[in-house]
Amino acid sequence: MRKRFSGSMITVAIAAAALGAVVSVSVTRTVGQAARPARVGGKPNFSGIWQANNEANWDLQAHEARAGAVMQQGSYPYAYAQVPAAPVLALGAVGGVPGSLGVVQGDGQIPYKPEALAIKKENADHWIDRDPEIKCYLPGIPRAMYLPYPFEITQSTNEIHMAYEFTSTARTIHLYKAEGPPDDTWMGHSVGRWEGDTLVVDVTNFNDRTWFDRAGNFHSDALHLVERFTAISADVIRYEVTIEDPKVFTRAWRIAMPLYRRAEPNMQLLDYRCTEFVEEFMFGNLRKQQLVKHWEGETLAIDITRKVPPGDRFYEWYGK
Amino acid sequence: MRTRFLESIGVAAAIVAVTVLLKLAPVAVAGQAPAPSATAAAAKADPALKTAWGEPDLQGIWTYDSDTPLQRPARFANKEFFTDQERAQLDKERAALLSRDKRVERGTELDVAGAYNAVFLSFKPTGRRTSLIVEPPNGRIPPLTPEAQKAAAADREFRLALLQATQTCKTQSVACAGGKYDPKPSPRRAELPPRYNTGRMNRHDGPEDGALGDRCMSGGLPDFGTAFGGSFRRIVQTPGGISMFYDTGQGQGWQRNIVMNGSPHLLSTIRQWWGDSRGHWEGNTLVIDVTNFSPKTDYLGSRENLHLVERWTRTGPSTLEYTVTIEDPTVWTRPWTVKQDFRKQSDQANRIYYEPRCHEGNYAFPSLMLAARLEELAFAEGRGPDPATKDNATDFVGVEDNPLGGF
Repeated sequence: MRKRFSGSMITVAIAAAALGAVVSVSVTRTVGQAARPARVGGKPNFSGIWQANNEANWDLQAHEARAGAVMQQGSYPYAYAQVPAAPVLALGAVGGVPGSLGVVQGDGQIPYKPEALAIKKENADHWIDRDPEIKCYLPGIPRAMYLPYPFEITQSTNEIHMAYEFTSTARTIHLYKAEGPPDDTWMGHSVGRWEGDTLVVDVTNFNDRTWFDRAGNFHSDALHLVERFTAISADVIRYEVTIEDPKVFTRAWRIAMPLYRRAEPNMQLLDYRCTEFVEEFMFGNLRKQQLVKHWEGETLAIDITRKVPPGDRFYEWYGK
Repeated sequence: MRTRFLESIGVAAAIVAVTVLLKLAPVAVAGQAPAPSATAAAAKADPALKTAWGEPDLQGIWTYDSDTPLQRPARFANKEFFTDQERAQLDKERAALLSRDKRVERGTELDVAGAYNAVFLSFKPTGRRTSLIVEPPNGRIPPLTPEAQKAAAADREFRLALLQATQTCKTQSVACAGGKYDPKPSPRRAELPPRYNTGRMNRHDGPEDGALGDRCMSGGLPDFGTAFGGSFRRIVQTPGGISMFYDTGQGQGWQRNIVMNGSPHLLSTIRQWWGDSRGHWEGNTLVIDVTNFSPKTDYLGSRENLHLVERWTRTGPSTLEYTVTIEDPTVWTRPWTVKQDFRKQSDQANRIYYEPRCHEGNYAFPSLMLAARLEELAFAEGRGPDPATKDNATDFVGVEDNPLGGF
């Protein structure tokens, strides 16, 4: 099992490197999806496949690079000298986190209430246990917009549909008066309007279970977003979101970033059905014969210690 | 199993079921409207059925508004349409099923099998056609190839072996049809299934022993809906682009974007749960060719070689005709074609929220495995029966009584 695992990972890495090379030489701006009309119903046509190209999903705020997504104390007792921990250790340089200038506008701070800031820090400490992305849960908005996966906009005259490769989810932006659902939702209720050539989307009816990033930035069910999509060029959208949540933040704050058109002429969304991918992570401990074991001589068999935080409804329910 | 549905999707199912039940009366009237073929010609001349940029307009929320069995029931052989009396009679028989208590003896291990009562079902009025299958003309799925018969038999044999020492076989339940009771558990409990498992089996050694539905991965193609919550499409178009969201299977919905740029299918090395959909317009009809399915998918025995050719045609202000030709020469002796009529739903009353989704609330799947581990422990410590003599897989007993067949 283990041998096959490492073998296939190397194969995948080589294939990915090769594919990257092919893609980078075949990019053009004149064919494929870029050939769509510039306007639909008199409005800028945002249809096509887009992707953020930044580190916002790691942390909305400015941060320096670090060696691993999960860290532990190394030889020195200093925070800046930590080393990667078991969950990402075997990935070497691939398991690190790239630095970022941040996407939070203004002073770069997220205006948490004091008690909410404590929760954010706790979230970061329990990242593996708590981040909904790791469990393949619905990403919510705005996170779905800057996950490291492409998404496709299908822009019609009274609806704009956004389909996300990550876990094959979607949202419809209603360009007409549409009442919200009777219950809260993961992906929110999106109602849009045009202000000139800017698409403005009001998003409400959220639950409190999605995050903004892998750094534990979170919100409550009082989250209210106002998104603004403005074309910078045919292949770049300025995406800006005003975030309000009086239960968690002391004031409204904003993030902004470019979204880039995936200009490969053959670009299409592919499956990312991570519901399957996370089964081992979520349920592997319930196998009759467990696959993940321990160190075997010089072979690394990764142990993941799950410190389930109190308040995790899922574990509490079935752990009874 | 039951617990998962109750916990995580029960609310959604109930909402859908109630919605559909409320629609029973008006829908029955609508079913008597002229046949779609009569309106197809009119549709071509109706500019309102075009998008602002001149393509045929398939947009909206769509679902089928009557129940038609996939295959023609034997007692209606050689009949393409039900008479009005037959439909009324079938509606009566089916309505009686809804209020029936399907639970078996309370407290037995099979008691859970009847827990899916009318609240979870969305029976609709019987449709005009006796089968969704329009080709071959007998309305039946064509015979399986010898190799597909062999594969199906091997699969069935394996599942029966896992049941052989249980009450299900001892009491000769329909769930054990074709099998026999043997108090000694089968040594096959230690075997891998003959092929990648997609269905329910009486073993929960790991996630792969679970049915795709229990794993929240049942949404796929083709999809003709079930009595459990029906099946909706939300179609949005843009010049040269079509998006379809499938709201189906109680939270097993998925997004489908059709590639419309005329390029060939993906490399055959790329296999997907939802295949690879490439479409083009033929007059007013959207034609979609679907290939590249994953060997982990299973439609009636067809896996990676499944090939679909779909035709979507707007036939009127509130009607959409969908046909799909289903082909897999390794499974069926000839291609076959299914036709389903969709009716436009109110954007306001039937907005789709793509959730609650099965996966986020899937408490029962880990519970199935946890329960299996606890049973093994209890047996090892002499506190409980041999887990191999218990049936934790059988569900939906009584479905066979539906005069339109199972779902």
